[in-house]
Amino acid sequence: MNIKRVIFWGCFVVVLGLIVWGLIASMGKGQNTGTAGTPAPVSSADHSRGPVDAPVTMIEYSDLQCPACGAYHPLVEKVLASSTIPIRMIYRHYPLPQHKNAFVAAQASEAAAMQGKFWEMSGLLFTYQDQWSELADPREVFAGYALRIGLNVEKFKSDMDSDIAKNAVTAQRDEAQKIGINKTPTFFLNGKEIESPQGYEQFKAAIEAAAK
Amino acid sequence: MNNSKLLLKRPLNRASTASVVAILVIAILGFADSAFLTIEHYRGVVPPCTTAGCDIVLTSVFSAIWGMPVALLGAVYYLLIALGAFIFLEAKHIGKAAESHHFSILKWTLLATILGLLMSLWFTYVQIFILGSYCLYCLGSALTSVLLFVFALNILIKNENI
Repeated sequence: MNIKRVIFWGCFVVVLGLIVWGLIASMGKGQNTGTAGTPAPVSSADHSRGPVDAPVTMIEYSDLQCPACGAYHPLVEKVLASSTIPIRMIYRHYPLPQHKNAFVAAQASEAAAMQGKFWEMSGLLFTYQDQWSELADPREVFAGYALRIGLNVEKFKSDMDSDIAKNAVTAQRDEAQKIGINKTPTFFLNGKEIESPQGYEQFKAAIEAAAK
Repeated sequence: MNNSKLLLKRPLNRASTASVVAILVIAILGFADSAFLTIEHYRGVVPPCTTAGCDIVLTSVFSAIWGMPVALLGAVYYLLIALGAFIFLEAKHIGKAAESHHFSILKWTLLATILGLLMSLWFTYVQIFILGSYCLYCLGSALTSVLLFVFALNILIKNENI
Protein backbone atom coordinates (compact mmCIF):
# COMPACT_ATOMS: atom_id res chain seq x y z
CA MET A 1 0.00 0.00 0.00
CA ASN A 2 1.58 3.25 -1.04
CA ILE A 3 1.42 6.56 0.77
CA LYS A 4 -1.07 8.06 -1.67
CA ARG A 5 -3.59 5.35 -0.92
CA VAL A 6 -3.12 5.81 2.81
CA ILE A 7 -3.83 9.53 2.43
CA PHE A 8 -6.92 8.83 0.30
CA TRP A 9 -8.38 6.38 2.78
CA GLY A 10 -7.34 8.56 5.68
CA CYS A 11 -9.34 11.48 4.21
CA PHE A 12 -12.39 9.28 3.72
CA VAL A 13 -12.36 8.02 7.30
CA VAL A 14 -11.62 11.48 8.71
CA VAL A 15 -14.53 13.07 6.80
CA LEU A 16 -16.98 10.47 8.12
CA GLY A 17 -15.52 10.73 11.62
CA LEU A 18 -15.81 14.52 11.57
CA ILE A 19 -19.47 14.28 10.55
CA VAL A 20 -20.33 12.00 13.47
CA TRP A 21 -18.25 14.04 15.92
CA GLY A 22 -19.77 17.31 14.64
CA LEU A 23 -23.29 15.95 15.04
CA ILE A 24 -22.71 14.81 18.61
CA ALA A 25 -20.98 18.07 19.56
CA SER A 26 -23.61 20.35 17.98
CA MET A 27 -26.48 18.44 19.55
CA GLY A 28 -25.03 18.80 23.02
CA LYS A 29 -24.60 22.53 22.45
CA GLY A 30 -28.09 23.03 21.07
CA GLN A 31 -29.59 21.66 24.23
CA ASN A 32 -27.77 23.98 26.56
CA THR A 33 -29.07 27.13 24.99
CA GLY A 34 -32.54 27.65 26.37
CA THR A 35 -34.78 29.21 23.82
CA ALA A 36 -37.72 30.11 25.98
CA GLY A 37 -38.32 33.28 27.94
CA THR A 38 -39.34 33.51 31.59
CA PRO A 39 -42.53 31.73 32.67
CA ALA A 40 -45.34 33.76 34.23
CA PRO A 41 -45.24 33.78 38.04
CA VAL A 42 -47.02 30.91 39.76
CA SER A 43 -50.59 31.86 40.63
CA SER A 44 -53.60 30.27 42.29
CA ALA A 45 -54.86 29.34 38.81
CA ASP A 46 -51.94 26.94 38.38
CA HIS A 47 -52.05 23.20 39.01
CA SER A 48 -49.69 22.89 41.91
CA ARG A 49 -48.52 20.27 44.35
CA GLY A 50 -45.80 20.14 46.96
CA PRO A 51 -45.01 22.75 49.62
CA VAL A 52 -45.64 26.39 48.65
CA ASP A 53 -42.34 27.44 50.26
CA ALA A 54 -40.25 24.65 48.68
CA PRO A 55 -36.71 25.69 47.71
CA VAL A 56 -37.29 24.38 44.18
CA THR A 57 -40.27 25.19 41.97
CA MET A 58 -40.51 23.05 38.87
CA ILE A 59 -42.76 24.17 36.02
CA GLU A 60 -43.50 21.68 33.27
CA TYR A 61 -44.98 22.84 29.97
CA SER A 62 -46.42 19.72 28.49
CA ASP A 63 -48.79 18.11 26.04
CA LEU A 64 -50.82 15.15 27.29
CA GLN A 65 -50.68 13.43 23.88
CA CYS A 66 -46.98 13.96 23.15
CA PRO A 67 -45.06 10.66 23.32
CA ALA A 68 -41.96 12.27 24.85
CA CYS A 69 -44.13 13.88 27.56
CA GLY A 70 -45.67 10.47 28.29
CA ALA A 71 -42.19 8.96 28.48
CA TYR A 72 -41.08 11.69 30.91
CA HIS A 73 -44.09 11.22 33.19
CA PRO A 74 -42.74 8.26 35.23
CA LEU A 75 -39.38 10.00 35.49
CA VAL A 76 -40.97 13.17 36.89
CA GLU A 77 -43.00 11.09 39.36
CA LYS A 78 -39.88 9.24 40.49
CA VAL A 79 -37.99 12.50 40.98
CA LEU A 80 -40.86 14.05 42.96
CA ALA A 81 -41.26 10.94 45.12
CA SER A 82 -37.61 10.41 45.92
CA SER A 83 -36.15 13.92 46.08
CA THR A 84 -34.74 14.88 49.48
CA ILE A 85 -35.15 18.51 48.44
CA PRO A 86 -38.80 19.60 48.66
CA ILE A 87 -40.18 20.47 45.22
CA ARG A 88 -43.21 22.49 44.29
CA MET A 89 -44.50 21.09 41.01
CA ILE A 90 -46.50 23.20 38.55
CA TYR A 91 -48.05 21.79 35.38
CA ARG A 92 -49.00 24.02 32.44
CA HIS A 93 -50.73 22.93 29.27
CA TYR A 94 -49.14 23.31 25.88
CA PRO A 95 -51.26 21.12 23.57
CA LEU A 96 -49.53 21.07 20.18
CA PRO A 97 -51.63 21.45 17.01
CA GLN A 98 -50.42 18.17 15.46
CA HIS A 99 -51.80 16.15 18.38
CA LYS A 100 -55.49 16.08 17.60
CA ASN A 101 -56.71 14.91 21.02
CA ALA A 102 -54.24 16.87 23.14
CA PHE A 103 -56.56 19.84 23.65
CA VAL A 104 -59.59 17.82 24.69
CA ALA A 105 -57.34 15.75 26.97
CA ALA A 106 -56.21 18.98 28.60
CA GLN A 107 -59.91 19.91 29.02
CA ALA A 108 -60.47 16.54 30.71
CA SER A 109 -57.66 17.22 33.15
CA GLU A 110 -59.20 20.64 33.87
CA ALA A 111 -62.56 18.99 34.53
CA ALA A 112 -60.87 16.60 36.96
CA ALA A 113 -59.16 19.58 38.59
CA MET A 114 -62.61 21.03 39.33
CA GLN A 115 -63.14 17.98 41.54
CA GLY A 116 -59.63 18.23 43.01
CA LYS A 117 -58.08 15.40 41.00
CA PHE A 118 -55.95 17.06 38.35
CA TRP A 119 -52.82 15.02 39.05
CA GLU A 120 -54.64 11.71 39.15
CA MET A 121 -56.27 12.42 35.78
CA SER A 122 -53.18 13.80 34.04
CA GLY A 123 -51.25 10.77 35.34
CA LEU A 124 -53.76 8.37 33.77
CA LEU A 125 -53.83 10.35 30.54
CA PHE A 126 -50.04 10.14 30.25
CA THR A 127 -49.88 6.47 31.21
CA TYR A 128 -52.59 5.35 28.80
CA GLN A 129 -51.83 7.68 25.88
CA ASP A 130 -52.06 4.74 23.47
CA GLN A 131 -55.69 4.10 24.38
CA TRP A 132 -57.00 7.50 23.34
CA SER A 133 -54.47 9.33 21.15
CA GLU A 134 -55.90 8.17 17.84
CA LEU A 135 -59.62 8.03 18.70
CA ALA A 136 -62.08 10.16 16.77
CA ASP A 137 -63.68 11.17 20.07
CA PRO A 138 -61.83 10.15 23.24
CA ARG A 139 -64.44 11.56 25.69
CA GLU A 140 -65.89 8.15 26.64
CA VAL A 141 -62.44 6.83 27.48
CA PHE A 142 -61.80 9.92 29.60
CA ALA A 143 -65.13 9.35 31.39
CA GLY A 144 -63.87 5.84 32.17
CA TYR A 145 -60.76 7.31 33.78
CA ALA A 146 -62.98 9.74 35.72
CA LEU A 147 -64.93 6.79 37.11
CA ARG A 148 -61.72 5.01 37.98
CA ILE A 149 -60.41 7.88 40.12
CA GLY A 150 -63.77 8.35 41.84
CA LEU A 151 -65.06 11.48 40.17
CA ASN A 152 -68.69 12.39 39.71
CA VAL A 153 -68.80 11.29 36.06
CA GLU A 154 -71.80 13.35 34.99
CA LYS A 155 -70.28 16.52 36.40
CA PHE A 156 -66.93 15.59 34.84
CA LYS A 157 -68.52 15.19 31.40
CA SER A 158 -70.24 18.56 31.46
CA ASP A 159 -67.19 20.30 32.96
CA MET A 160 -64.94 18.83 30.28
CA ASP A 161 -66.76 20.75 27.54
CA SER A 162 -67.39 23.86 29.58
CA ASP A 163 -65.98 27.23 28.62
CA ILE A 164 -64.14 27.34 31.94
CA ALA A 165 -62.11 24.25 31.01
CA LYS A 166 -61.50 25.44 27.45
CA ASN A 167 -60.47 28.92 28.56
CA ALA A 168 -58.11 27.54 31.19
CA VAL A 169 -56.31 25.41 28.57
CA THR A 170 -56.26 28.24 26.03
CA ALA A 171 -54.80 30.69 28.56
CA GLN A 172 -51.96 28.29 29.44
CA ARG A 173 -51.27 27.44 25.82
CA ASP A 174 -51.15 31.14 24.91
CA GLU A 175 -48.70 31.80 27.71
CA ALA A 176 -46.46 28.94 26.52
CA GLN A 177 -46.52 30.35 22.97
CA LYS A 178 -45.87 33.87 24.21
CA ILE A 179 -42.68 32.93 26.03
CA GLY A 180 -41.54 30.90 23.02
CA ILE A 181 -41.65 27.31 24.25
CA ASN A 182 -40.48 25.32 21.22
CA LYS A 183 -40.72 21.74 22.43
CA THR A 184 -42.65 19.62 24.87
CA PRO A 185 -41.93 18.80 27.58
CA THR A 186 -40.00 21.90 28.64
CA PHE A 187 -38.96 22.10 32.28
CA PHE A 188 -38.12 25.19 34.32
CA LEU A 189 -36.47 25.03 37.71
CA ASN A 190 -36.85 28.24 39.75
CA GLY A 191 -37.71 30.15 36.58
CA LYS A 192 -34.76 28.88 34.53
CA GLU A 193 -35.16 26.50 31.62
CA ILE A 194 -33.18 23.28 31.94
CA GLU A 195 -32.07 20.96 29.16
CA SER A 196 -34.32 17.91 28.89
CA PRO A 197 -32.80 15.48 31.44
CA GLN A 198 -31.68 12.19 29.90
CA GLY A 199 -32.37 10.16 33.00
CA TYR A 200 -33.01 10.12 36.74
CA GLU A 201 -29.47 11.05 37.81
CA GLN A 202 -29.35 14.04 35.47
CA PHE A 203 -32.76 15.24 36.67
CA LYS A 204 -31.69 14.90 40.30
CA ALA A 205 -28.48 16.82 39.63
CA ALA A 206 -30.42 19.66 37.96
CA ILE A 207 -32.70 19.91 41.01
CA GLU A 208 -29.75 19.94 43.40
CA ALA A 209 -28.11 22.67 41.32
CA ALA A 210 -31.31 24.74 41.35
CA ALA A 211 -31.62 24.43 45.14
CA LYS A 212 -28.17 25.94 45.74
CA MET B 1 -34.67 -8.24 -24.34
CA ASN B 2 -35.51 -7.53 -20.75
CA ASN B 3 -33.70 -4.34 -19.82
CA SER B 4 -33.44 -5.03 -16.10
CA LYS B 5 -31.93 -8.43 -16.87
CA LEU B 6 -29.44 -6.76 -19.13
CA LEU B 7 -28.49 -4.29 -16.41
CA LEU B 8 -27.78 -7.13 -14.02
CA LYS B 9 -25.86 -9.35 -16.40
CA ARG B 10 -23.85 -6.91 -18.39
CA PRO B 11 -20.53 -6.07 -16.79
CA LEU B 12 -19.95 -2.42 -16.03
CA ASN B 13 -16.94 -1.09 -17.91
CA ARG B 14 -17.58 2.62 -18.13
CA ALA B 15 -18.49 5.14 -15.46
CA SER B 16 -17.90 8.87 -15.50
CA THR B 17 -15.87 10.12 -12.57
CA ALA B 18 -18.20 13.09 -12.08
CA SER B 19 -21.25 10.83 -11.59
CA VAL B 20 -19.43 8.60 -9.11
CA VAL B 21 -18.20 11.67 -7.20
CA ALA B 22 -21.81 12.93 -7.09
CA ILE B 23 -22.89 9.56 -5.67
CA LEU B 24 -20.13 9.71 -3.07
CA VAL B 25 -21.12 13.24 -1.96
CA ILE B 26 -24.86 12.48 -1.84
CA ALA B 27 -24.23 9.25 0.08
CA ILE B 28 -22.14 11.16 2.64
CA LEU B 29 -24.97 13.71 3.04
CA GLY B 30 -27.45 10.86 3.49
CA PHE B 31 -25.12 9.31 6.03
CA ALA B 32 -24.97 12.58 8.01
CA ASP B 33 -28.77 12.81 8.02
CA SER B 34 -29.31 9.20 9.12
CA ALA B 35 -26.48 9.36 11.65
CA PHE B 36 -28.15 12.41 13.21
CA LEU B 37 -31.44 10.54 13.64
CA THR B 38 -29.64 7.45 14.93
CA ILE B 39 -27.76 9.44 17.58
CA GLU B 40 -30.99 11.21 18.49
CA HIS B 41 -32.66 7.79 18.86
CA TYR B 42 -30.03 6.37 21.18
CA ARG B 43 -29.47 9.52 23.23
CA GLY B 44 -32.81 9.91 24.86
CA VAL B 45 -35.94 7.93 25.50
CA VAL B 46 -37.83 9.79 22.80
CA PRO B 47 -36.82 13.02 21.09
CA PRO B 48 -38.74 15.90 22.68
CA CYS B 49 -41.74 16.92 20.62
CA THR B 50 -41.27 19.91 18.42
CA THR B 51 -43.96 21.67 16.48
CA ALA B 52 -42.80 19.98 13.26
CA GLY B 53 -44.39 16.57 13.88
CA CYS B 54 -41.11 14.65 13.86
CA ASP B 55 -42.03 13.02 17.17
CA ILE B 56 -45.00 11.21 15.67
CA VAL B 57 -42.92 9.77 12.84
CA LEU B 58 -39.84 8.98 14.91
CA THR B 59 -41.74 7.25 17.69
CA SER B 60 -44.18 5.39 15.43
CA VAL B 61 -44.13 1.61 15.03
CA PHE B 62 -42.57 2.18 11.61
CA SER B 63 -39.46 3.77 13.10
CA ALA B 64 -37.87 0.42 13.98
CA ILE B 65 -37.53 -2.98 12.31
CA TRP B 66 -36.89 -5.91 14.65
CA GLY B 67 -36.01 -3.47 17.38
CA MET B 68 -33.42 -1.71 15.24
CA PRO B 69 -34.07 1.95 14.41
CA VAL B 70 -34.51 2.39 10.65
CA ALA B 71 -32.26 5.44 10.93
CA LEU B 72 -29.39 3.09 11.81
CA LEU B 73 -30.16 0.86 8.83
CA GLY B 74 -30.20 4.02 6.71
CA ALA B 75 -26.83 5.14 8.06
CA VAL B 76 -25.30 1.71 7.29
CA TYR B 77 -26.85 1.78 3.80
CA TYR B 78 -25.43 5.23 2.98
CA LEU B 79 -22.07 4.25 4.44
CA LEU B 80 -21.89 1.19 2.17
CA ILE B 81 -22.87 3.24 -0.90
CA ALA B 82 -20.23 5.85 -0.04
CA LEU B 83 -17.68 3.09 0.51
CA GLY B 84 -18.49 1.44 -2.84
CA ALA B 85 -18.16 4.75 -4.69
CA PHE B 86 -14.99 5.60 -2.82
CA ILE B 87 -13.29 2.27 -3.53
CA PHE B 88 -13.91 2.81 -7.24
CA LEU B 89 -12.70 6.43 -7.25
CA GLU B 90 -9.66 5.61 -5.17
CA ALA B 91 -8.66 2.79 -7.55
CA LYS B 92 -9.23 4.99 -10.57
CA HIS B 93 -7.14 7.86 -9.28
CA ILE B 94 -4.29 6.04 -7.79
CA GLY B 95 -2.44 6.08 -11.07
CA LYS B 96 -3.56 2.86 -12.64
CA ALA B 97 -6.80 2.04 -14.39
CA ALA B 98 -9.67 0.62 -12.35
CA GLU B 99 -9.71 -3.15 -12.54
CA SER B 100 -12.67 -5.37 -13.26
CA HIS B 101 -13.33 -6.10 -9.61
CA HIS B 102 -13.54 -2.37 -8.91
CA PHE B 103 -16.15 -2.09 -11.64
CA SER B 104 -17.91 -5.05 -10.11
CA ILE B 105 -18.02 -3.35 -6.70
CA LEU B 106 -19.35 -0.18 -8.32
CA LYS B 107 -22.00 -2.11 -10.24
CA TRP B 108 -23.38 -3.70 -7.08
CA THR B 109 -23.23 -0.34 -5.32
CA LEU B 110 -25.29 1.19 -8.12
CA LEU B 111 -27.80 -1.66 -8.05
CA ALA B 112 -28.14 -1.31 -4.27
CA THR B 113 -29.56 2.19 -4.74
CA ILE B 114 -32.76 0.51 -5.99
CA LEU B 115 -33.18 -0.94 -2.49
CA GLY B 116 -32.68 2.51 -0.94
CA LEU B 117 -35.20 3.99 -3.36
CA LEU B 118 -37.83 1.36 -2.50
CA MET B 119 -37.31 1.80 1.24
CA SER B 120 -37.61 5.58 0.91
CA LEU B 121 -40.77 5.29 -1.18
CA TRP B 122 -42.30 3.08 1.51
CA PHE B 123 -41.37 5.45 4.34
CA THR B 124 -42.67 8.46 2.43
CA TYR B 125 -45.91 6.56 1.82
CA VAL B 126 -46.13 5.80 5.55
CA GLN B 127 -45.66 9.47 6.41
CA ILE B 128 -48.25 10.74 3.94
CA PHE B 129 -50.97 8.09 4.05
CA ILE B 130 -50.62 6.29 7.38
CA LEU B 131 -49.23 8.77 9.89
CA GLY B 132 -50.29 12.01 8.20
CA SER B 133 -47.22 13.60 9.78
CA TYR B 134 -43.90 14.54 8.31
CA CYS B 135 -40.38 14.39 9.56
CA LEU B 136 -38.12 16.75 7.68
CA TYR B 137 -35.01 14.60 8.18
CA CYS B 138 -36.87 11.55 6.85
CA LEU B 139 -38.00 13.46 3.77
CA GLY B 140 -34.40 14.64 3.35
CA SER B 141 -33.30 11.02 3.34
CA ALA B 142 -35.96 10.20 0.74
CA LEU B 143 -34.52 12.96 -1.44
CA THR B 144 -30.94 11.67 -1.16
CA SER B 145 -32.14 8.13 -1.97
CA VAL B 146 -33.92 9.32 -5.11
CA LEU B 147 -30.87 11.34 -6.21
CA LEU B 148 -28.59 8.33 -5.64
CA PHE B 149 -30.88 6.20 -7.76
CA VAL B 150 -30.99 8.78 -10.55
CA PHE B 151 -27.20 9.07 -10.75
CA ALA B 152 -26.80 5.29 -10.54
CA LEU B 153 -29.34 4.76 -13.31
CA ASN B 154 -27.55 7.35 -15.41
CA ILE B 155 -24.27 5.41 -15.18
CA LEU B 156 -25.94 2.07 -15.86
CA ILE B 157 -27.86 3.36 -18.88
CA LYS B 158 -24.79 5.02 -20.39
CA ASN B 159 -22.97 1.72 -19.96
CA GLU B 160 -25.75 0.05 -21.93
CA ASN B 161 -25.47 2.42 -24.83
CA ILE B 162 -21.88 1.91 -25.80
